[in-house]
Amino acid sequence: MINSENITQYIKDTAVHGDIYTDEEIFKQEMTSIFEKTWVYVGHESEIANSGDYKTTVIGTHPLIVTRDSDTDEVHVVFNRCRHRAATVCQQEKGNANYFRCAYHGWTYSNNGDLTGMPFQDGYGEEFDRCKMGLTKVPRVGIYQGFIFASLSEEGPTLEEHLGNARPYIDYVVNTCPEGISLNAGAHKYRFDGNWKLQVENTIDPYHLSVTHRSFFNLMSKKTGKKINFSKMHKNEKIRDLGNGHSLYELDGDLGIGALPFNLIVFPNLGFLGSQVRVTWPVSVNKTNVFLYPIMLKGASVEENAARLRKHEGFYGPAGFGTVDDLEVGFDRVMEGLNAKGKDGEWLEISRGLEREEVDEKGIITATSSDEISARALYKAWKKLMTADDSNVETRGKKHEPTVGRP
Amino acid sequence: MSQLLVDRKQIEEFLIDEAAYLDEGKFSEWLDLFTEDSFYWIPSNQDDIDPNTHVSIIYDDKDRLEERVWRLQSGLAYGQEPKSRTRHLVTNVKVLDCEEDKVIVTSNFILVELRRSIQTIYSGRLEHHLIQTDTTLKIASKKVELINNNEFLGNLSFLF
Repeated sequence: MINSENITQYIKDTAVHGDIYTDEEIFKQEMTSIFEKTWVYVGHESEIANSGDYKTTVIGTHPLIVTRDSDTDEVHVVFNRCRHRAATVCQQEKGNANYFRCAYHGWTYSNNGDLTGMPFQDGYGEEFDRCKMGLTKVPRVGIYQGFIFASLSEEGPTLEEHLGNARPYIDYVVNTCPEGISLNAGAHKYRFDGNWKLQVENTIDPYHLSVTHRSFFNLMSKKTGKKINFSKMHKNEKIRDLGNGHSLYELDGDLGIGALPFNLIVFPNLGFLGSQVRVTWPVSVNKTNVFLYPIMLKGASVEENAARLRKHEGFYGPAGFGTVDDLEVGFDRVMEGLNAKGKDGEWLEISRGLEREEVDEKGIITATSSDEISARALYKAWKKLMTADDSNVETRGKKHEPTVGRP
Repeated sequence: MSQLLVDRKQIEEFLIDEAAYLDEGKFSEWLDLFTEDSFYWIPSNQDDIDPNTHVSIIYDDKDRLEERVWRLQSGLAYGQEPKSRTRHLVTNVKVLDCEEDKVIVTSNFILVELRRSIQTIYSGRLEHHLIQTDTTLKIASKKVELINNNEFLGNLSFLF
């Protein structure tokens, strides 16, 4: 059994064990210790701009509905599960509805989650309290700069505390346009047979750019006549560990793949890079779904937004010149290689640049852009949550014997 | 619909030849079928979108299509290493409209792709805008309406 104590055997400051990408128990533990504990992005206000708008989403493996109240315009996040017999009550990706009616026995909920009625209401006794049988609300909902987050935990840091040093960069994304941004230009949706953390790690990993994406940068230099000096680039560029698992990659100039001057990872599964918002959904230990939402500038000309779309499509998405090479090299080949379990050869390195890290007065750790500082930031937060044992306070401090030895 | 200057048989043969270029890996020959101001389009999420306001899986003008083919032939396109083996089946060919030298042709397709020992079936509707020159047909646009364009897709680095 994986628990908050023996999980430490899978992680060091300089490396992570291959099993964190393949072990089903570790995946289950991630869902409860990370996705059910921390704040998780569930949507952007522009996706549910009008009263009664809704979208469906997930936190970890829990299906949810994010709605805008028809009466109050308040944002609600509720579980997509009928309180009667568990059927999902909403089937659409997005839409507008005042009510969600379960198609199984007809229980009907208003879009704030309240149970409004069911067919043949005479069968329930006085004990049955309709007020308590609304769609279950997630314990906490928070909105930062239009980005809606939810937490399945009653307790823990506030959203603002969780976002911490990542906030000014989210502000930047929103403030690039005086009229704000919208995520209403559809999405690239792709999947791969691999662990979700591979996609998050790959969101800030400039070390691989000149290798995996050599063909793209060769094309760029053919077009622009300028060849990128990656060695110089990595010296000039910085990656920062912003704390709480978030990290930032500051680009030195335009790489030709998007508008933002940085890549930002918001722990655990949100990213801002290129001209997109990237959301990574863990499906199972070796299945992952990914959304890329192009960021559109409100009030900008059609031409300007179209140019953003074309640039985004050039590198990203299921047929983009960059994404397809990441799918093959960064995910498929890694998942294949993880099956090779030679003695001492089961660890994945995250040590690059450890000795040239610098720490400022805010505690932000910085090193150059070929360093694995982003992965270290991710796994610090991962370890903190995976080792936080609040499941059973009485057993805390007791020596726990793992039922399964270290593989 | 004005008088059809090409017959349906000729159009079907053209589509079959186009598919054969793709299945045989003759990407340069395939690229030559496109006019200089052509585009190759795979909408994302739904069939009918405005590509200026909604993201596409692919919206290649001729320049980017040339880059796409260059990349596939560069030996550096890891997404095609190993390469996809494909068979395109094009059927239900219908001439939708025809004016002067332009013919709009729709068809259904099944594309079977084999890569990494996994065989995947794609299907959808194609819409070709063809331009008739003196002796040949050229592609002014090719739109691929995948029936799963709103699903989570795998590596689409091959050509439809």
